[in-house]
Amino acid sequence: MNFVVPNFAPAYAELFVAAMGVVILLVAVFLKQSARPFAYLASLATLLGAAFITWYTMDGQVSYTFGNMYIDDLMGDVLKLMVYFAMAVTLLYSRGYLTDRKMDRPEYFVLATFATLGMMVMISANHLLTVYVGLEMLSLSLYALVAFDRDSARSTEAAMKYFVLGALASGLLLYGMSMVYGATGSLELSGIAQAIYHQAGNRTVLLFGLVFLMAGIAFKLGVVPFHMWVPDVYHGAPTAVTLLISTAPKLAAFAMTMRLLVNGLFELADQWQAMLMFLAIGSIVLGNIAAVAQSNIKRMLAYSGISHMGFMLLGLLSGVVDGDSRLALNAYGSAMFYAVVYVLMSLAAFGMVILLSRAGFEAENIDDFKGLNKRSPWFAAMMMFVMFSMAGVPFFVGFFAKLAVLQAAVAAGYVWLAVLAVMMSLIGAFYYLRVVKVMYFDDPLDASPISASADLKLVLSANGLAIAVFGLMPSQLIESCVAALAGSF
Amino acid sequence: MLENYFPVLIFILVGLAFGCVPIVLGRLAGPHRPDAEKLSPYECGFEPFEDARIKFDVRYYLIAILFILFDLEIAFLFPWATILKEIAATEGLRLFGFFEMMVFLGILLIGYIWVWKKGALEWE
Amino acid sequence: MDGLLQPVVDLFGPTWPLVWTLVKIVAIIAPLMICIAYLTLAERKVIGYMQVRIGPNRVGPLGLLQPIADGVKLLLKEVIVPSGASKGLFIIGPILAFAPVLAAWAVVPFSDGMVLANVDAGLLFLLAITSLEVYGVIVSGWASNSKYPFVGAMRAAAQMVSYEISMGFALVCVLMISASLNLSDIVMQQGQGRFADMGLGFLSWNWLPLFPMFIVFMVSGIAETNRAPFDVVEGESEIVAGHMVEYSGMAFALFFLGEYAAMWLVSALTSILFLGGWLSPVSFLPDGFHWLFIKVAAILFLFLWARATFPRFRYDHIMRLGWKVFIPITLTWVIVVAVWMLSPLSIWK
Repeated sequence: MNFVVPNFAPAYAELFVAAMGVVILLVAVFLKQSARPFAYLASLATLLGAAFITWYTMDGQVSYTFGNMYIDDLMGDVLKLMVYFAMAVTLLYSRGYLTDRKMDRPEYFVLATFATLGMMVMISANHLLTVYVGLEMLSLSLYALVAFDRDSARSTEAAMKYFVLGALASGLLLYGMSMVYGATGSLELSGIAQAIYHQAGNRTVLLFGLVFLMAGIAFKLGVVPFHMWVPDVYHGAPTAVTLLISTAPKLAAFAMTMRLLVNGLFELADQWQAMLMFLAIGSIVLGNIAAVAQSNIKRMLAYSGISHMGFMLLGLLSGVVDGDSRLALNAYGSAMFYAVVYVLMSLAAFGMVILLSRAGFEAENIDDFKGLNKRSPWFAAMMMFVMFSMAGVPFFVGFFAKLAVLQAAVAAGYVWLAVLAVMMSLIGAFYYLRVVKVMYFDDPLDASPISASADLKLVLSANGLAIAVFGLMPSQLIESCVAALAGSF
Repeated sequence: MLENYFPVLIFILVGLAFGCVPIVLGRLAGPHRPDAEKLSPYECGFEPFEDARIKFDVRYYLIAILFILFDLEIAFLFPWATILKEIAATEGLRLFGFFEMMVFLGILLIGYIWVWKKGALEWE
Repeated sequence: MDGLLQPVVDLFGPTWPLVWTLVKIVAIIAPLMICIAYLTLAERKVIGYMQVRIGPNRVGPLGLLQPIADGVKLLLKEVIVPSGASKGLFIIGPILAFAPVLAAWAVVPFSDGMVLANVDAGLLFLLAITSLEVYGVIVSGWASNSKYPFVGAMRAAAQMVSYEISMGFALVCVLMISASLNLSDIVMQQGQGRFADMGLGFLSWNWLPLFPMFIVFMVSGIAETNRAPFDVVEGESEIVAGHMVEYSGMAFALFFLGEYAAMWLVSALTSILFLGGWLSPVSFLPDGFHWLFIKVAAILFLFLWARATFPRFRYDHIMRLGWKVFIPITLTWVIVVAVWMLSPLSIWK
């Protein structure tokens, strides 16, 4: 029997998170009601421990394990660190919200831990099956999380929609995978790339596979025309869960897109570029226009998220020009930078929604932000930073993110695309600035001071300030994204 | 090897036929005099008062889900069990072959303990 | 023998394998049907004597024609299809309950080489096809569109799937020891070992090292077939006859036949997996089909004995036994056997 025990070293962080998830689940079920903080603290400790492991094993080398099903490279490590960070902040923001609503059951934190594991597997996948396993691990955790407030009809309805559509998308993705496998005879991404390079396989089948893969990816990113679930799920889910869905999973979805399209199907770039272009235009246009009509801030942020994902795709699609991939690194780097910045902004935006919510009250409507300046000038300023940054007002970090992808698009010769995107983001500025306007110029509906725990206030302030501060030194961030990608492509 | 399964297929068809024949025979040999009372659902002699497709206890659903989990696990155990002797005979693979399955069983066991503690296996 | 058959082979030409298979199938089914019929009589007689009664003794000498009389009576009854029922499913239900139990016999070895299909995945096939039985129950319960059958079907289905898990784990244990899914190989493997070499074959059979699994498998077998004391499905004081309430005539007879055929099947499986199938218990007696028959008959007697002795279980007790007792036991024993096999103490080299 020819069998080699795999090298576990590149996957220590994943193994650690998996083991901790199981331990938390098991210990929490035996603990008394009063020991509730255990799951919260343990899951934070898990993220911290995983960050240590990833940090200390980060060597910039590309290594494969588990029979090439799994890849450990710099891009993966950087994205994983971002995921830990986003998840940790998410848990921190969520804590008080969950406690107020009696939803701080240990299962929330266990599911969050398993979702983290799913994202890590997605990020490090070098095999279609690994991609799928990671994706399902993440999605199943998210479906359950969306329904976490199980007595709320809206929450369960959102979960049901998400589950049904998500299952459909997974089906499409699997269908695409099986077609790609059928055409190339390989499930391993580098093997697929080789097979296509050597013109192996039936090209029609391959393209069909690509279309289905694309549909699956588009669903997970939440871009037009597979965006229908986004507003309903963001709106229906408890805000703490919306926060989770709208942040770290976007990084994993970015990694999945990179792995599948760039690592695996690079030779088909001319094909998927066109598809991405369609997705990007649709998302930017629809996201920005539909967001204008929203009065619910969660829905507004959902549509804004759709348009942001469209912008990110702009960077991804600008990498290759006529088969020449010289621009690729900068373009992909700008897309990664965009994803990271979006996560940062999204954390702060939903963090603000959580901050204003109290037991029995959801600050879901834009009206709930009225007169925030009179209640708390500091947090009004923070929210203004976030909104300005999302709108792309100069010298906030969001501006440089938009600038980077637009530069990539122009460099690739898609000037018209860049012009369209700029026009749409001008429309988008309207609804972001509307929030700023109600905060500063309207009278509060409810003048009570903001009550929230000190750690939430502290981290949220840091988050808001980060958006402003990173705006002063964007080039280092972009360069580190490019450097992270350089080893992988 | 596949032709070994041919008799199995035939047997399944014969089994189905054996199931159909008595019903046909019974229909032919027995009387056929339906009336409204005879055809109404049995309800201890009362008039049936609502459709029988009623809501039922969610625990049955739970049992079905748990059954699928455990049955799948058994399906995964089958190939491992079949080659366990070979694993035992191969130096260097013995411990790995054993512990890999123990990890798998362990994960399921944790789920089982959780389900038990959560009270999903209670029927009161 | 070959010479005698040659003209017949020529007569059928290329269809001969099919014809020959059909002949063999008939040779299995015909005795099986007789066995099933007489199991019903045996049950009534055995329970009768256990309760100091005589049992049926009017039809034929010693009541031996009773099963035939029962059959004729059921044949002449009207097959009622209730007005609210889903007609198609209502008819398919009993067929689904009966056909799989019959088809399972395709892979059961009766003696060395005496098996219709000596397939390598025999055990897997059995596991798959016996799982189909639950469809018969649930389809008939649903199709009847009546409350008792519906509730009865839910209960029966939950009970059957629950006990299928512990049966599955028991099968895994047998599989680990025999390293084959082929039922004939599983029997032959039980003929090896230290005790078999000493002439005491019955101590080498699987029942001894797998004793807990043997018990669990038998009890689960009783529960799988919905027999007393696990017959809440037919708990007449609660839900009349469960999923069978709306059935009459031959449609009902199919459920009845299916239940007794399942008893035979479970007994045969227990004999093959744990009691050495057709192997002789001691080396000075020859192996052969008669041993299998004796073992099966003994287990069937246990089934009847259990019915005459034990009161009916409460439903929550049944589920607790399946989920909270049998699964931990079987899971533990799977691990114990695995460790045992990997340790130097292994008796199955």
